[in-house]
Amino acid sequence: MRPSSKLWRIVGTAALASTLLLAVGFAMAMRELLVVTPLAQQTGTAPAQQIETGGGFQNAEEIRVTALGDSLTKGTGDNSGKGYVKTVLELLREETGKPVHQINNLAVAGLTAKELDDMLSRDDSLEYPIKQANLILLTIGGNDLFRPVLEARESGEAGDINLETIEAGIPAAAESLRSVVERIRAINPDATLVYTSLYNPFYDIPDLREGSAAVQKWNGAAYEIIGSDELAVVVPIMDLFQQRSADYMSSDHFHPNQQGYERIAQRIAQALT
Amino acid sequence: MMDLLPLVQNETLKIWKKKRFYVILLILLVLIPLFTYAQMRVSMTNAENFKDWRNQVQQEITEKQNLLANDRMPEEWKKYDRIQVQQLQYYLDNDVNPNSPDAAGFTRMFMASSVAMFFPLLILALSSDLVSGERTGGTIKMLLTRPVRRWKILMSKLIALTMYVSLAIITTGAVCYLISGLVFGYGGWTMPVFTGFVVNGAAIDTSGVHPVPQWKYIIMQSGLIWISCMTIAILSLMVSVLVRSTAASIVTMMAAVISGSILAGMTSSWQAAKYLFSVNIDLTDYLEGTPPPIAGMDILFSLSVLGIWSLAALIVSFAVFTKQDILN
Repeated sequence: MRPSSKLWRIVGTAALASTLLLAVGFAMAMRELLVVTPLAQQTGTAPAQQIETGGGFQNAEEIRVTALGDSLTKGTGDNSGKGYVKTVLELLREETGKPVHQINNLAVAGLTAKELDDMLSRDDSLEYPIKQANLILLTIGGNDLFRPVLEARESGEAGDINLETIEAGIPAAAESLRSVVERIRAINPDATLVYTSLYNPFYDIPDLREGSAAVQKWNGAAYEIIGSDELAVVVPIMDLFQQRSADYMSSDHFHPNQQGYERIAQRIAQALT
Repeated sequence: MMDLLPLVQNETLKIWKKKRFYVILLILLVLIPLFTYAQMRVSMTNAENFKDWRNQVQQEITEKQNLLANDRMPEEWKKYDRIQVQQLQYYLDNDVNPNSPDAAGFTRMFMASSVAMFFPLLILALSSDLVSGERTGGTIKMLLTRPVRRWKILMSKLIALTMYVSLAIITTGAVCYLISGLVFGYGGWTMPVFTGFVVNGAAIDTSGVHPVPQWKYIIMQSGLIWISCMTIAILSLMVSVLVRSTAASIVTMMAAVISGSILAGMTSSWQAAKYLFSVNIDLTDYLEGTPPPIAGMDILFSLSVLGIWSLAALIVSFAVFTKQDILN
């Protein structure tokens, strides 16, 4: 047999086999797309998961943190990108000497209490990271209270915003917060829950300085909701952003800057250790 | 018919002797280890930061939700992320890892992301000088003075090209599997992959979603890739008939393919772009459930567009090749 004829046999056979396989693949894909998918029904429920629950925080050998909430938890405004969450992790590591892991940071910037409540009721997959944690960090409510102010400021009529406008949103938002806490507790009753309350981001605007009273009202509502929970802590940070607010706020005049987040993190670490 | 077979044999051996297939193999042997290494680094980082894949996927979802909350992001881009969030959510709800960390999963992802650019490039390496090369080399006169009808010569070239296209796709898959398996392990054939996501505007219909074992998914995906590649091959055969120089033929085809992928990225604003072949080349999107670049495209539409372009290219190729005068 001539070598070229042998080569032809090998190449020819391999190519023919490949072509056949690919043609079959194409036929299968067409059947899949045009016949199977239209006919298919939902594939039944998810298999039961074995989730290792986080247990209690104080006696845990390993600290597992899940953070959720709004842009504060996300770390918006912090140029180092750490936010308060990463700093809390570092501080806890130093203070306790235990291994500290972040399970997930589920924060979404711009989230209101109502939206977080909806998210928790809708996305079953959030249960998994919440269940694994023994420390849950939460911030929420800032967007409920201050979004009207921010929107007014963008359209250039900040002067028209008064205390009542800010206060008007509190009862509904507080109800959502109650629901959020209940949902978290239903998923994980053993973890320590840290709720970082609000500060007045508009303290440096004289017209809005009295907004502090509204913020305090909200914080009071948060204490009412969370205070009865033995494993929960409300961390106040209002005072951190009053005297030298410009030094601790980022350039958007709404979020803390890196130093601001560090101070928040110190507060939280103090409350926990 | 009988006299076609020796011609095909001749053409097949000619392509082999031109060492084009070695070039493809060499490209694969250089590129795939690179991608495997990159993927390995990604996996290592993920393993460091996340307890398991569920947390990782959840974080991915949260990050996309944050992007969606961003007002500066245009609405058309949000559409993709919104649909991806829903898909990831579906995987998470059913406790299936969407990025199974094994050789089969790597092969699936590598091949899917290669349809738009990498495969066309490989095909062009084979096809672009099929006819123009004979002209440049002067062998075309020898070929055409044989007592064989011209259409049979072109037909034998087309058949040989088809064979090499198939070989190239299968070889890519095989090399990908063998090399990535060294790092990720040779498993994952039976991992479930979800297919059947139907895109309805900005939302995704999951009622038809069902799991398919990964081996079956890869075969189906390869079949779709084959159709895309054959379209490229046929078009480039036409260009090779029409254009005298091989370089010009490569450049023409590459320009068409690249412009297609750019247009696909720009999306929506120009509806008529959906009739271009290169916008329709990414057939595997339909299997994955990725939204098509332009609203209103579906698998049958894309196949028709590719089919019409191929048919037209074949008609032009054969008409020109059988009539054309060979000078100098």
